[in-house]
Amino acid sequence: MMNLLHISPIHASLAVLLFPLAAFLYQALRGKQDQSGIVGLLGILLSTAASAFFVFFPIWQQTPVEATASWFTVGKHTFSAGILLNNLTVLMQLLVCIIALPVHIYSRVYMKGDPGIHRYWMYLSLFCFAMLALCVANNLLLMYVFWELVGFASYLLIGFWFTKDAAVQANKKAFIVNRIGDIGFLIGIALVYAHMGTLNLSELFGKQSPLFEQIPLWHTERWMTYAGLAFFVGAMAKSAQFPFHVWLPDAMEGPTSVSSLIHAATMVAAGVFLLATVFPLFNESILLVIAIIGTITALTASYFALAQQDIKKVLAFSTISQLGFMVVAVGIGAWNAAIFHLVTHAFFKCLLFLCAGAIIHEMAHAIPAAAKVDPQDMRNMGGLRRFMPYTFILMVIASLALAGFPLTSGFLSKDSIVIAAFEWAVERGGTYLIIPIVLVLVSFLTAFYIGRMIFKVFFGKPKLWSDEKVTVFHEAPKGMWIPMAFLGLCSLFFVFSFNPISHQNAALMQGLTLLTGFQPIDSLHMFIPIVLITGSAIGWWLGYRWYVQGKYPFQENNAWVQHAQKQAYINEFYQFIIVRSTLYLSRGLYWFDHYIVDGLTNGAASVTRAVGRVSAWVDRNLVDGLVNLVAQTSYYAGHLLRWVQNGRLQNYMGFAFTMVLFGILYLVLR
Amino acid sequence: MGFLSILIFLPLLAALVMLLLPKSAAGSAKYLALAATAGQLLLTGYLYVHFDSAQAGINDVNSFQYVEQLSWIRLQIGADKLLEIDYFLGLDGLSLPLIVLSAVVMLMAIGASWNVTKSVKGYFALLMLLNTAVMGVFCALDFFLFYVFYEVMLLPLYFLIGIWGGVRREYAAVKFFIYTLLGSVFMLLVIVGLYFSVTNPATGANTFNMLHMMNPANYGEESFFGWVRNFHEIFGIPARLIGFAILFIAFAIKVPIVPLHTWLPDAHVEAPTPVSIILAGILLKVGGYGILRICIGIFPDMAALSNWWLGLIGVISILYGAFNALAQKDLKRLIAYSSVSHMGFVLLGIATLTTEGISGAMFQMISHGFLSAALFFLVGVIYDRVHDRDIYNFRGLASHMPRYTVFVAIAFFASLGLPGFSAFIGEAFVIIGAFNSESVGTGLPRWMAVGGSIGILLSAVYFLWTLQRMFFGQTRFKGGEEWATALNDVTMREQIILYPALALAIILGIMPSLVFTPLNESVMRLVSVVSSFL
Repeated sequence: MMNLLHISPIHASLAVLLFPLAAFLYQALRGKQDQSGIVGLLGILLSTAASAFFVFFPIWQQTPVEATASWFTVGKHTFSAGILLNNLTVLMQLLVCIIALPVHIYSRVYMKGDPGIHRYWMYLSLFCFAMLALCVANNLLLMYVFWELVGFASYLLIGFWFTKDAAVQANKKAFIVNRIGDIGFLIGIALVYAHMGTLNLSELFGKQSPLFEQIPLWHTERWMTYAGLAFFVGAMAKSAQFPFHVWLPDAMEGPTSVSSLIHAATMVAAGVFLLATVFPLFNESILLVIAIIGTITALTASYFALAQQDIKKVLAFSTISQLGFMVVAVGIGAWNAAIFHLVTHAFFKCLLFLCAGAIIHEMAHAIPAAAKVDPQDMRNMGGLRRFMPYTFILMVIASLALAGFPLTSGFLSKDSIVIAAFEWAVERGGTYLIIPIVLVLVSFLTAFYIGRMIFKVFFGKPKLWSDEKVTVFHEAPKGMWIPMAFLGLCSLFFVFSFNPISHQNAALMQGLTLLTGFQPIDSLHMFIPIVLITGSAIGWWLGYRWYVQGKYPFQENNAWVQHAQKQAYINEFYQFIIVRSTLYLSRGLYWFDHYIVDGLTNGAASVTRAVGRVSAWVDRNLVDGLVNLVAQTSYYAGHLLRWVQNGRLQNYMGFAFTMVLFGILYLVLR
Repeated sequence: MGFLSILIFLPLLAALVMLLLPKSAAGSAKYLALAATAGQLLLTGYLYVHFDSAQAGINDVNSFQYVEQLSWIRLQIGADKLLEIDYFLGLDGLSLPLIVLSAVVMLMAIGASWNVTKSVKGYFALLMLLNTAVMGVFCALDFFLFYVFYEVMLLPLYFLIGIWGGVRREYAAVKFFIYTLLGSVFMLLVIVGLYFSVTNPATGANTFNMLHMMNPANYGEESFFGWVRNFHEIFGIPARLIGFAILFIAFAIKVPIVPLHTWLPDAHVEAPTPVSIILAGILLKVGGYGILRICIGIFPDMAALSNWWLGLIGVISILYGAFNALAQKDLKRLIAYSSVSHMGFVLLGIATLTTEGISGAMFQMISHGFLSAALFFLVGVIYDRVHDRDIYNFRGLASHMPRYTVFVAIAFFASLGLPGFSAFIGEAFVIIGAFNSESVGTGLPRWMAVGGSIGILLSAVYFLWTLQRMFFGQTRFKGGEEWATALNDVTMREQIILYPALALAIILGIMPSLVFTPLNESVMRLVSVVSSFL
């Protein structure tokens, strides 16, 4: 039986990305006629099946496989296109499939009736194709191609409602900020190519390749630092790291189902995936930069999340904060922990967004169109647990996973990062300890803000409807809560490890073993989880007291809340400093172009014309004047002499006599 | 009569027939033009398919293909001097892709001219004359012949802009003509200087043969542009450097480079859509082609000496053009400045003197050729309908003209270098080449590469900003209802013209080998010629 079904993993992996591509092309050609999205769904369904059975299981924990075909040749270098399947890439590909499938199912209900729905399915399939290809690309150039294509798909989906001004501002911002990262990625590629002569991942980083041996020797060279920095800038933009995080909260203008797939679970994690892929390139100083940036991101984003009122914004900042955790993990050298957290985070964050989508969906239906009330504002929600019990339960599970409570997947992966960070810092000692301590603090904040969200949305009394018996609210339809339930299941511990408290036993961590530079400290494995759980529990308790029991101790909208809600005015800073100065510069340069450069051209023309006029004047008045002078002179001379010949004999005689007289005078005076 | 002669003179024949047409049959001129151009496209397709990409060309006549060499002018001057001008054509990897590009863009231009009503016969006859000149420039291997075609290009363009153009057409036409002439007049001096310096080793006569000019052995011992023992100086600058600089400036005006670019926005804004298409799609490439074939081919030593400056000019053009594009309110002017920026990549790529950089530059020329043609055509679509193209006078076109918006979005994203489209390959390889330059030792510093990549960022900024301002949001036009009825979506004819250009952008983006394969040997040969002087 297995022999019959034997398909090479390479072909299967190719099929995984071709199904969504075919779906995209089909939907692009059909245009408005295809509203159902059944083709897109079918594509991702086939992809998921192929990815799980014919790619993931045959490859996981086996020897990596690679297939390449030459793509084009420039000079003596042949650039290839191919597929590389190893533990990391097949895991990513499967993850994308498994997240994308429930999102597709959910979208069929969630997006129903939208006038642009045919575009939605088309873009979604395009995204799936690009993302799945990004996971398995075997060289950096090809990776870059799909890296930008996912950004493009994200641009299209953020601006899906393109008549909304905020949406088109947001997608422009997202693409441009990502472009900054893309430039970094491209520079990194160029540097690697210039110094190593290849972009193929297995030639660069394959354990057997001769290049791989040399990479550590080059770590001291300056170009290596620049290359590492360049790749990190690429990852920073895609994974929304401070200070490039500004695009992600705005990206929430897209449909919520899109936010869940692209801006929470998969695409934004691509930066972390890139860091894990090119990890050997990073030397000590770059790794430290990575860890610091990740810490700053985790801290600032969780701080901003505390004061957000828009339910999607809370989740967006929580995504940024969790991405910060993953980046810290890479920075301390434990990229396997980063990938582990990436995987667990994908499930529960996707679920959080889908739950939020279900709530927004119901809010939007319940609010009369005339009332200008924001369906995403948590201040308008409250007490929803009675109307939407399934959503409530699922969202609580996901929130617990985010906060890192035991028995959830988040507990396993987050602890693995915090513990590794402590081990890393203890070995270095001193100020390095700031990083893990901040991570612990961020964990507390995380528990608090997600608890705040749960309490504000599901507890208390409904704000907009005084009559509690009102029946405008329903549970999300089946087509939505079933995919949510599947994700909820995947947010629990047993999917990853049968031991609910030890991340080391997780199959995933065993598949991505790597040698870290620091010693494990056993006592930490006991101590850290207890601290984290206690802190998180306090956070939830505080949230319950403040938001459910109404014992809020501070003034509404105090300065710190304002500051956090406005995201520390970073957007305003960018707008005033960077955007404006760029525009002023461009206007200034256009002025320069118009008046100076072109002015010189026109000036040269005017000078030429003036010279022409002068020479024409000279020609007419001097040169021709001279000629005319001669003519006039002879004319006048002739005119003067003419009256000599007047026919009078006396005059002739007088004239002749005068001339003779002159002759004699001349002879006498000589 | 070889393939290349047919390719060159087929449109001229069509032009002659057009002029003989009676007034009543003037309408058939466009069909004649279409037939001639389609014939050319088929012919170039044939040449492309049968091209042997293992042959390098550049400085070796034997590895040129479809060569035609006839003696054209032989004039005994004095006792021992013989004027030797050949009708000498041939193709190599540098010229072949440009020939195909020219045929495609020409066909697009004919399609875009379909609704011309003002003196139809003259219009299409001039287009055909231009077509002949362009093809001739890319095929000519004799410098004299090259110069003849090069100058003949100006005449039809002058009239096409000056008669069929916009409000300030006379100003633009004169500016364009004089600017270009300024470069080419000095070029003539260098050509004559080269002629007196180079002798044909076979006959001993002085020659205009470009391939002979590329061989240092053919230069007279103490001739003006001689390689060894050259003491000639002009104002204290070595003669060869002066020669290189003059040729470079002549071609750089065509490219155009900053600060010699100001003819371009005016010419584009005033020119009718088809002429803009030809101008951006083909004419600018003559500049890049000339720099590669002539400046670098004949003066490789000087190219190696001055490539730092070329790279600097390239980076300045990229950034300056991009910032200027950002400041524009007129859509056509924006695209004109984006052309300046994108052609800056060509110069930067050439200046790297690496295979990656020069291949990238060639690829960028091809890619920019039909992308800019498509962009100018798209501007023409709305201009035809409402005679306005101010960005702020339109909003929310996406809801009103969805199909048009799809075309614009594809063209914009292709131009801003989205992978999967051709511009990405060109720009990426220019950047890669610029980074590689330091490793290879051609001496382009890396900050230039970084500067170039900031241009890629800026291109995203101005294109996306334009998309946001003109196409997204709630629909609102300056002209109100009147515009709303006039702005109907793209017609079938317009789609037929746009599809091939955008399809080519995608095909070349996915299969860059279609250009790189015929190109590769020639570029490697060119680089090896230069690298001996580094």
